[in-house]
Amino acid sequence: MLIAVTLLVFSLTLDGFTSPFSLFTIGRQVGIDTMIGLAMMAVIVTGGLDLSIGAIGVCCAMAFGWLVQILGLPILLAIPFAVVFGASLGFINGFTVVKSGVHSFIITLATMSIFFGVMIFLTKANAYNGLPPEVQAFGKMKFFKTISPLLLISIVMCLFLAVFYKMTTLGRQMLAAGANPRAAELSGIRTGRVIMACHMLTGALAAIAGLMVTARTGASVPSMAGHLGQDWLLPAFLAPVLGGTLLSGGRVSVIGTLLGAGFVNVMTSGLLLMRVGEFWILASLGAMLLVAVLVDRARQQFLKTKGMI
Amino acid sequence: MAVHANTDGRLTRAFDNDWIGPGIVSLAAVIGISLLQPAFLSSFNIFVLVSAISVNMVIALGQLVIIGIGQMNLALGSIGGLVAISFVGLMERFGVPVPLALGLALGIGVLAGMAGGYIIARTAISAFIITLAGLQIFKGINLGITEAQPFYGVPESVKAFGTGSVLGPLPWLVLPMLICSIGMWYLFNRMRIGRHILAMGSNPHAAEMSGIDPKVTIIWAHALSGLLAAVAGVMLVAKLQIGHPAIGDDWLISSFAAPVIGGAVLSGGRVSVAGTFFGVVIIAIITQGLVMFNIDPFVVQIVLGALILWAVAINRLREVRIAKLQARGAGA
Repeated sequence: MLIAVTLLVFSLTLDGFTSPFSLFTIGRQVGIDTMIGLAMMAVIVTGGLDLSIGAIGVCCAMAFGWLVQILGLPILLAIPFAVVFGASLGFINGFTVVKSGVHSFIITLATMSIFFGVMIFLTKANAYNGLPPEVQAFGKMKFFKTISPLLLISIVMCLFLAVFYKMTTLGRQMLAAGANPRAAELSGIRTGRVIMACHMLTGALAAIAGLMVTARTGASVPSMAGHLGQDWLLPAFLAPVLGGTLLSGGRVSVIGTLLGAGFVNVMTSGLLLMRVGEFWILASLGAMLLVAVLVDRARQQFLKTKGMI
Repeated sequence: MAVHANTDGRLTRAFDNDWIGPGIVSLAAVIGISLLQPAFLSSFNIFVLVSAISVNMVIALGQLVIIGIGQMNLALGSIGGLVAISFVGLMERFGVPVPLALGLALGIGVLAGMAGGYIIARTAISAFIITLAGLQIFKGINLGITEAQPFYGVPESVKAFGTGSVLGPLPWLVLPMLICSIGMWYLFNRMRIGRHILAMGSNPHAAEMSGIDPKVTIIWAHALSGLLAAVAGVMLVAKLQIGHPAIGDDWLISSFAAPVIGGAVLSGGRVSVAGTFFGVVIIAIITQGLVMFNIDPFVVQIVLGALILWAVAINRLREVRIAKLQARGAGA
């Protein structure tokens, strides 16, 4: 609610903000950040986290590049391969977390290093930039001059996930396992399997995010998520946390994640238009995350004192 | 029967000692690599190795304090980086003398750590998210000040400290590392605040019941972590002879790897300074060894990740085994 108002105020007060091109680039970035946020959200649900999403995203983008450019697979066939690959990397995470009983933080810290290392080793850090032109064309495609298909994909995915968590058994089991694992186990949910499924979903979503970045750049670049994929961590946590997903697990807000990503990108481009130095934007994004969690905490306290929780 | 019980006890104690395993592994690695590659023991190589170990040990200690309390500090590297560029920036741009700049730089580290600790203690939001925000804020301030350009004005005295040797192949950098290590060992084993940190880490509720102030303890732990990150930042400036804005970017993985290899329990309450030291040594030897055998440097990333998983598995096995031995002892 708060986010939507700020978004509106911001777009009214700044010139050049509502130009079609500006809206297009913001929307495209919102699409990508939303997907990254959803990927993290899928595992935050269980009260865990996944540091390796950036590494998974890059690995899948590189796998896609390899399939299309070296093996000559048609794009439509390579996409499902890449997504399944992401899900299987997620499965490795989930399997290790569940079987070892160690917190997902340390497991995914290790796998992030391993996935990224193997990827760099196999690709020799070279980009696949001979992809068919359709890939880049898709990233540049516009509907009504302003809307990127990447944004639409994310919105569709949001709707799908919202239904998934509300309506399906597996989705509800994920939420239950996150809210109270012991209670879930006692009521007959196999929490181990559910947590593995969460990690696989995270992997698949990270893979889609990786493919979206590939479409935007028109090439599979090993450094597209920074060293070890660390650059994805901030958007990954910002969007769900701003959107009201509880870090302790058990509650998600899919639409909140979309709005969270939207808010971050509107702020970023607003600050850029106001000529705030690009380096300071990083600091203000960090500050934003801080303010967001503080506001969230204050809101919970307020609701508690009013007896509404 | 008595003898049997005795060996059981000794076995338990050996398994219980966090640093024995990593210690044996590092010794074996030194012997193995030096047999294959005699240049490994050249005084130049030892100098390089010990310099790296010194800096990484201080970094690992900075993470170890926070692991002790059962949290994590993602901002460690960005605090170190901010301190490094402030240290050189103060000297280059404002002509501040070295001791004063050093004091101010360490002060910045302590303040940055305390700020994070204060917010965590006050709001009880997970340390992960607060220090993630801290990471971006400190890194952003760092880049905002430097605009990604390094400061070059490092005085000769600092350079000499970073590259000179105190005794044979031992660099001066060993000195701050030893001070920090002994200080931290003393803190955890003999000082009240150290015991409080570990008590908080193993059972926050019980700790609070027995009269420990959780807020003060958390703020202390984060302030200490900030101070150690600052020391490591300054040491890196001396070693690299430059105030580079990228200092601290790659601390995250190794800062967790070393304590975990050294047997620290991530949920808190159990840390080992000696174990962490051998963890740092193992990582340094492997990194150096891979370089000496001309293996792709990216393999280091894979090996580091695999090492963490391996250490986690070993810790887990050991816990199970100790529990079994204790059960058998109780049964007899």
